Amino acid sequence: MSAQAHKTDGTEALLEIRQLEKRFSLSGDFLDQLRFKGGKLVRHQEHVHAINGVTLEINRGEALCVVGESGCGKSTVARIVMGLLSPSAGEIHYGGTRIDNLSSRQLLPFRRRMQMIFQNPYASLNPRMTIQQTLEEPLRLHNPDWNRQQIVEQVEQVMASVGIDPDWGKRFGHEFSGGQRQRIAIARALAVDPEFIVADEPISALDVSIQAQVLNLLMDAQHERNLTYLFITHDLAVVEHFGTRVAVMYLGTVCEIADTATLFANPRHPYTQALLSAIPRLDDDGPQHIRLEGEVPTPVNLPSGCVFHGRCPYANARCKQEVPVLQTQDDGIRVACHAVEEGRL
Amino acid sequence: MALLEVNHLDVHFALRKGDVHALRDINFTLERGERLGIVGESGAGKSVAAFALLNLIAKPGFIAGGEVNFEGKTLNTMSERRLRKVRGNRISMIFQDPMMTLNPVLSIGEQMIECLKAHRRITSKRARAIALDKLHQVQIPSPETRLAQYPHELSGGMRQRVIIAIALLLDPDIIIADEPTTALDVTIQAEIMALLLNLCEQHNVGLILITHDLGVVSQVTQRMLVMYAGRVIEQGPTREIINDPQHPYTQGLINALPQMATPGEQLNQIPGSMPSLDNLPSGCAFHPRCGFVERADGTTRRACIDEVPGFVTSGNCQAACHMVAEMVDDRRLKEESL
Repeated sequence: MSAQAHKTDGTEALLEIRQLEKRFSLSGDFLDQLRFKGGKLVRHQEHVHAINGVTLEINRGEALCVVGESGCGKSTVARIVMGLLSPSAGEIHYGGTRIDNLSSRQLLPFRRRMQMIFQNPYASLNPRMTIQQTLEEPLRLHNPDWNRQQIVEQVEQVMASVGIDPDWGKRFGHEFSGGQRQRIAIARALAVDPEFIVADEPISALDVSIQAQVLNLLMDAQHERNLTYLFITHDLAVVEHFGTRVAVMYLGTVCEIADTATLFANPRHPYTQALLSAIPRLDDDGPQHIRLEGEVPTPVNLPSGCVFHGRCPYANARCKQEVPVLQTQDDGIRVACHAVEEGRL
Repeated sequence: MALLEVNHLDVHFALRKGDVHALRDINFTLERGERLGIVGESGAGKSVAAFALLNLIAKPGFIAGGEVNFEGKTLNTMSERRLRKVRGNRISMIFQDPMMTLNPVLSIGEQMIECLKAHRRITSKRARAIALDKLHQVQIPSPETRLAQYPHELSGGMRQRVIIAIALLLDPDIIIADEPTTALDVTIQAEIMALLLNLCEQHNVGLILITHDLGVVSQVTQRMLVMYAGRVIEQGPTREIINDPQHPYTQGLINALPQMATPGEQLNQIPGSMPSLDNLPSGCAFHPRCGFVERADGTTRRACIDEVPGFVTSGNCQAACHMVAEMVDDRRLKEESL
């Protein structure tokens, strides 16, 4: 595995996630964990295994899309990368520096370079701040030596670049629609001139016609500012359009990662195949999707072996015991599946 | 006579600042066993339309005009007692959020049996047998155990299956499904939609599917209505509207989908956003966002700004648009002069 983590293939990795794990405790604090069992006091702990050994690199200038269904750990990855959660194990490297163990003071210069856009534009704007204040706040924090004039100019410039009317500055968040708020949230992220943006489902709360507007804005910003994106979404149509590369996650592990075109043309992992076949298309009559047996298992008690084996039509004895690792195929797709490796699929 | 006929339905909400017109002049019919989609963005009025069909509009809303006829009987003027024989019985409803629809303190079995007993004189034993049969039909694994379970013990997809089973309990003629899969993941959504489609076909049940997802509508329904700012702006056979939309808004919606653009290129966006219902623009409500207010020769179509467009028929579809009306007129003039 470590050979993969340190893979060098010419392109420069801006962000590296190495063997990331995250567990959330379900059993409360120390005293809550104590139970009587057979006359003895035992400590009983239960965890949600949100992420189990995720290794990803994001190259400079690309948009890496992470897709998966609810509960697969995609948002947790985004939050750990931004330092909003700390990993249980594993490392995050940004531009060659390990950042997951830094103090918040040491992290500050990195926070300026990486910004986040959240899913719900109704919750991510401070209701007591005007838009002008919202946009000025990150600038003041990251540029303590700037004078008033510089800050106002920078805010004006970023408002213009995302198509916000300067008059909006005096108004409050609640006066705007979802699409407008998301535009403001994007302006806030772009205000400090970041190079890396983590977008966690930035358009799923918006209407179809507004989704296109916001997606166009994100793509324009990428071209103009040479941004790198980590784009979290469950919408595969958006991925196909937006992503340079795609990582498909299932139950806290990456099961397949590849260039977008390659993955959509020829998905290998049985889960990816089922996921792609489930997109409602405009052009065919009647659903013809691959049916998966059962439902996503709980991340509290992870299945042994491949996490997907309980629902996989190709699972055999090996899949139930041995955890598959990502292996590179001829066309560059990396897929974690015993069936693909053995040529059964 | 169609099974369900909606004529000139108007719904208002009485607010302090005056009445807001949430629905204006909605007309459609549903034949037995037909599947109809209602599409639109949030605030277009599609959920209000669904609620209005069963006279479920809560205050301050009220049906201000028009009628909903089911088998020739007008539902919106019917007494509450007689309406209860239709509601849930002949026409049942599936709501968006499966968590909110089920009662958290009753087991699945109790809720299903309660529903049967409310509408029929039936023994508990017989009701239980019917409930079990419906759970089998929606392909829930081990239905006997599910009957004793509570909603929180089931996943979102399972809950939505239970709700479909409840909707089918009394063998309705029509199911109204309001965004039934929006809260679910894509793979689960695909399964639930396939299940719903299958059951409707098997039992010859009519379906009114309310959704914002054009992909779902195109796969499940035979006819569709597109709503914008409280009005139906286009209606016709689903396939024809998807393949050849007439109204500029429908065209915009379809073209805005990521799959309609080349990967990496700009998406075709509709500028602006839907107006709020208490502050509609004059004339056609879509005109401030429409690219066809100006004709190809640079002149302005005044009608778009001044007059609310009526429906014009183009092929098998109807669209409420002055531009389409002009096109249809031109076509007719050309044909007549030939």
